[in-house]
Amino acid sequence: MNDFLHTFFDWSEITGILPSLLTEGLRNTLLIAVLAILFGLAVGVLLAMLLLSRRRLVRLPARIYVDVFRGLPAIVTVSLIGLGLPAAGVRPFGRSPLGYAVIAVGLISAAYCAEIFRSGIQSVPPGQMQAGRSLGMSYLTTMRLVIVPQGVRNVLPALTGQFIVDVKESSLVYLLGLGAGQRELYFIAQEQQAASYNASALVAAGLCYLVITIPLTYLVNWLDRRMREGRPARTAGGAADPGAPPDGAGAGAGGAVGAGVDGKAEGALLTARDGGEGRA
Amino acid sequence: MTATAAISVRDLRKAYGPNEVLRGVSFDVAPNEVLCVIGPSGSGKSTMLKCLNLLERPTGGSVVVAGVTLTDPKADVDAARTKIGMVFQHFNLFGHLDVLSNVTLALRHVRKLGRAEAEEIAHAQLARLGLAHLARHRPANLSGGQQQRVAIARSLAMSPEVMLFDEATSALDPELVKDVLAVMRELAGTGMTMVVVTHEMGFAQEVADRVIFMDGGLIAEDGGAREVLGDPSSPRLREFLSQVL
Repeated sequence: MNDFLHTFFDWSEITGILPSLLTEGLRNTLLIAVLAILFGLAVGVLLAMLLLSRRRLVRLPARIYVDVFRGLPAIVTVSLIGLGLPAAGVRPFGRSPLGYAVIAVGLISAAYCAEIFRSGIQSVPPGQMQAGRSLGMSYLTTMRLVIVPQGVRNVLPALTGQFIVDVKESSLVYLLGLGAGQRELYFIAQEQQAASYNASALVAAGLCYLVITIPLTYLVNWLDRRMREGRPARTAGGAADPGAPPDGAGAGAGGAVGAGVDGKAEGALLTARDGGEGRA
Repeated sequence: MTATAAISVRDLRKAYGPNEVLRGVSFDVAPNEVLCVIGPSGSGKSTMLKCLNLLERPTGGSVVVAGVTLTDPKADVDAARTKIGMVFQHFNLFGHLDVLSNVTLALRHVRKLGRAEAEEIAHAQLARLGLAHLARHRPANLSGGQQQRVAIARSLAMSPEVMLFDEATSALDPELVKDVLAVMRELAGTGMTMVVVTHEMGFAQEVADRVIFMDGGLIAEDGGAREVLGDPSSPRLREFLSQVL
């Protein structure tokens, strides 16, 4: 039992490694994760729109992309990008492995985000698109201003899950070898573990990951609630209205998600029609 | 077809695969006219209405609204739709925006007005429909009747030449119906050209200049409100009226 405690919870090991974890490691992990998440979101929205196209030729490349990057183990993708590209002479980031890690994790994230966004967009009742179009807004304008904002709200919890995966996958950059100042949480801890044959540094790194991922969940939940209910000033105004049910916002949001299930086919039809008109 | 008709529909057809929903519908609506469309469910009323702004693409025939031949493949349908307001059964307010932003969205992004100008128009419309105090509320916090009136304000803010109502009161609680009908009645009084798909026979009788009775994807009767509703000639319409009245 003492061995067990000593191996995982050696206090001097932990306090010894903590400074470099918190200064160098946390910074680089967050750098990779945040950039990969932003990359994944941007490319993911784009892919989702393509996945929803009526045209097979537009859908197909997006479908293949999503299937490939969701199907490959992350470790293979990171190796292919981070080791393969530089070897082939493609070195947009020079020798720094961090850039390649961002791209690799971002590409994987984009594939998952695309499916999340697609389901979110399809969960928006088809009447929203009809209302937008009836006011003279184009298909793309309605998508941008009406459908995507509501679709994203419906899939925020799923996106949180993806952000957490991205944070964790940032550790795969260790495969590419990291120089001084480039090391992220796992790399630092794993170096220390190899040197001391003691796992306490890994435990410390693990705690650092949890410090990122657990608050992230609560942050998104808070954001989710805030967006559903509107800003506090607005709900305060709502109390003044006799016709306003106190729990109206929550019920309405739940209804929208439920309505999406049978709204799917119709939503796709509307997309298809608009594509057919050549204005999509 | 009269050159001055606000809406002119000729041999309108719509089929979903082998299922023919509209089987050759023709009618004109004169400027300032209020046309009510009645008929049993499944008769094609709503599909016909949605063909008038091309939310449903006709599979045959022609539709001319506000001088634009919508069925012409080269027609700028988005531009034409700004002249054709539509009110839906389920309101379809943008759930992520407050009432004011629901009304200003198309003003800003289609009409390309600045925020101040768009909000001025929106406030005026909301005030006109007795909704000024709700400008900062979310749709989910409003009653059905309030939501539908916001939807009407949203359409009117674009200064349409024609308004289409698709069973605008069917999803409302009975006590809220009269508020929305009052707005529609007032709108008709201002000379707005309106096509109203409705089950409200009282409204049709009182407000409509003309009534069309649709049955099985065809117009079965078309005439003045008094004649069609007061003295139905076809047994099918008599049967329908006896069920809804």
